[in-house]
Amino acid sequence: MPRDLSRLFVLCACLAAPGTLLLAADDVDADGFRNPMQRLHFNPRLDQREFERSSFAALNVYDPFEAWNRRVYHFNYRADQWLLLPLVDGYRKVTPGFVRSGIHNVFRNLGELPNLFNSLLQFKGRRALDSTGRLLINTTLGLAGLWDPATRMGLQRHNEDFGQTLGFYGVPAGPYLMLPLLGPSNLRDGSGLVVDFSLDSQVDWLGMASASDRYPALHLLKAIDTRDNTAFRYGQTNSPFEYEKIRYVYHEARQLQIAD
Amino acid sequence: MRPLLLLICLLPTWLLADDYGYPLHNPFEATIAGTPVALRPALPDEQSISQRDYSLNLRPERANRLPANFWPVRRLRYRLASQPGPAPLIFIIAGTGAHYASSTPEYLKRLFYGAGFHVVQLSSPTSYDFMVAASPNATPGFSPDDARDLYRVMQTIQARHRDLPVSAWHLTGYSLGGLQAAFVSHLDEQQQSFNFQRVLLLNPPVNLYTSVSNLDRLVQTRVQGIDDQTSYFQVVLQKITRYFSEKGHVDLNAAMLYDFQRSGERLTDEQLAMLIGTVFRFSAADIAFTSDLINQRGLITPPRLPINDSTRLTEYFKRALLCDFDCYLSEQLIPSWRALHDGGSLAQLIEQASLYALSEYLGNSRKVAVMHNADDPILGPGDLGYLRRTFGSRLTVYPYGGHCGNLDYRVNAADMLEFFHAP
Repeated sequence: MPRDLSRLFVLCACLAAPGTLLLAADDVDADGFRNPMQRLHFNPRLDQREFERSSFAALNVYDPFEAWNRRVYHFNYRADQWLLLPLVDGYRKVTPGFVRSGIHNVFRNLGELPNLFNSLLQFKGRRALDSTGRLLINTTLGLAGLWDPATRMGLQRHNEDFGQTLGFYGVPAGPYLMLPLLGPSNLRDGSGLVVDFSLDSQVDWLGMASASDRYPALHLLKAIDTRDNTAFRYGQTNSPFEYEKIRYVYHEARQLQIAD
Repeated sequence: MRPLLLLICLLPTWLLADDYGYPLHNPFEATIAGTPVALRPALPDEQSISQRDYSLNLRPERANRLPANFWPVRRLRYRLASQPGPAPLIFIIAGTGAHYASSTPEYLKRLFYGAGFHVVQLSSPTSYDFMVAASPNATPGFSPDDARDLYRVMQTIQARHRDLPVSAWHLTGYSLGGLQAAFVSHLDEQQQSFNFQRVLLLNPPVNLYTSVSNLDRLVQTRVQGIDDQTSYFQVVLQKITRYFSEKGHVDLNAAMLYDFQRSGERLTDEQLAMLIGTVFRFSAADIAFTSDLINQRGLITPPRLPINDSTRLTEYFKRALLCDFDCYLSEQLIPSWRALHDGGSLAQLIEQASLYALSEYLGNSRKVAVMHNADDPILGPGDLGYLRRTFGSRLTVYPYGGHCGNLDYRVNAADMLEFFHAP
């Protein structure tokens, strides 16, 4: 409280001298306004067109199949609205939360295999160890992955796919591709997906791949689970240029994942 | 005498500064990052909210003229969260360019729903979907027209949910939505469809032109690290990449932003300002493109250009990105306003579209209140003084929070609920 009072005295003193309304580091106007714009340094001749230059550069993603990709984007948008999201809603209605998280954990545990494989290919020893630990603990203690005790034990999940491995070895992204139902990708990452898929079916971890062949509903369940756990909604950018924005974000996000 | 008067004016703000407790004192950080998770109010989880999206067919005559790739926005969508029994209903108007389901309306919905209100979330009249699906002249920015469009949407929603037991009608809006809420409330005094009981303006612009000029200027800051090879986006992305590679793993979440701003890679004020300015410039581009296309003005897309799902729009996107708010104002809004309303000079447009136009109404209407921040970058010098003169004790000024950064701070949340709960 004495500190408050002394501040008030300082304030009075400041106000008594016109034009020196200095409080701490901020300038405060008589009506209490701190004018944040005053904190900024502007370009001396204002218009430097840095925004335009940056955003034009960001639009410059190699996309020779743009017309096709745009059609697929609209196809995916419609499929999402009229098929996938209603399925997810139905799934949420009929399945209790703990069952859904159990199912999600099982699929995630199966997905640990490509993580391990790709960490090894990129000589990321620590990550390969984490993934191995997760796989062993969650498969045994976690009852085939229904629970995720490994995360509670401090073993982090690292998502590594074959597209990232290719990027790690310097393979360029290639043309941008919008894949039906799967969403944004490019030639490199799309090929990577094929490798990761075939790895799954070759290793047939916990017999999942062969079981899915016998019961195709498992594929559908996996698709619904993936959609349920993907926050993205078509139309959420609320922009006529959503296609361009997704393309840029995908491109940069992959760069980030490869550098990581 | 003068120092004493000023002291009295300042006193509430000054005392708040110490007691308020909002941790981000940098207005640009606050605008981007919002409130640290631990300081947010308790909210009901998404699962426990009974809500649905609905859509309205408001402009059937436009359906045949719209380009095929506009199919997702032919009908205006909105979200209604309804309580099981009778309850008051709050309309939320989103900010510039924002969708009804974007993060701030979603947050406000959870807050109000948790306190027992029905909630309707509306897209901003400046957003792509609203312009296409609900606005007859699709040239937003003239507040009386935007309010008229919003009002029509709200009346249609009211009629559609006739069976919903609504005990009272309330209204709120943040940012540009706050300004529009004031105009909607004024319109309601004449039309009386709702007789709003309480109207809350959150961080509204006072002078619309000051606000858009500030936002336009944000991308003109002097940012270090940019050269011929490196663009502004790359500077930011490089920092994020270095930050994550030091941490050892990528983990994008709300807490990361605080940690990032405390790391060696932290963004400067100028870089943060540029980021905020960029978001608004993208909104400006969407508005300029959509308004031009629907009205076939030929400024960005050539008139009668056939557009379908596969049409490359990147070239038009670039043209639209060249147009900031000031450009949109002078090339589209002012000509349209002159044609429709026999308008005159820019000064008159500013007067009619800003809070000034409603000074008398707002000064006398006990139902309308304002919550604002002393460091909001959309305000200019004198704006807080205007608000204080006009609203008196119905204005709350928080010392920090930037532009809407403290809406999800629990002190603000409690104040909002108290306002709507007051008898």
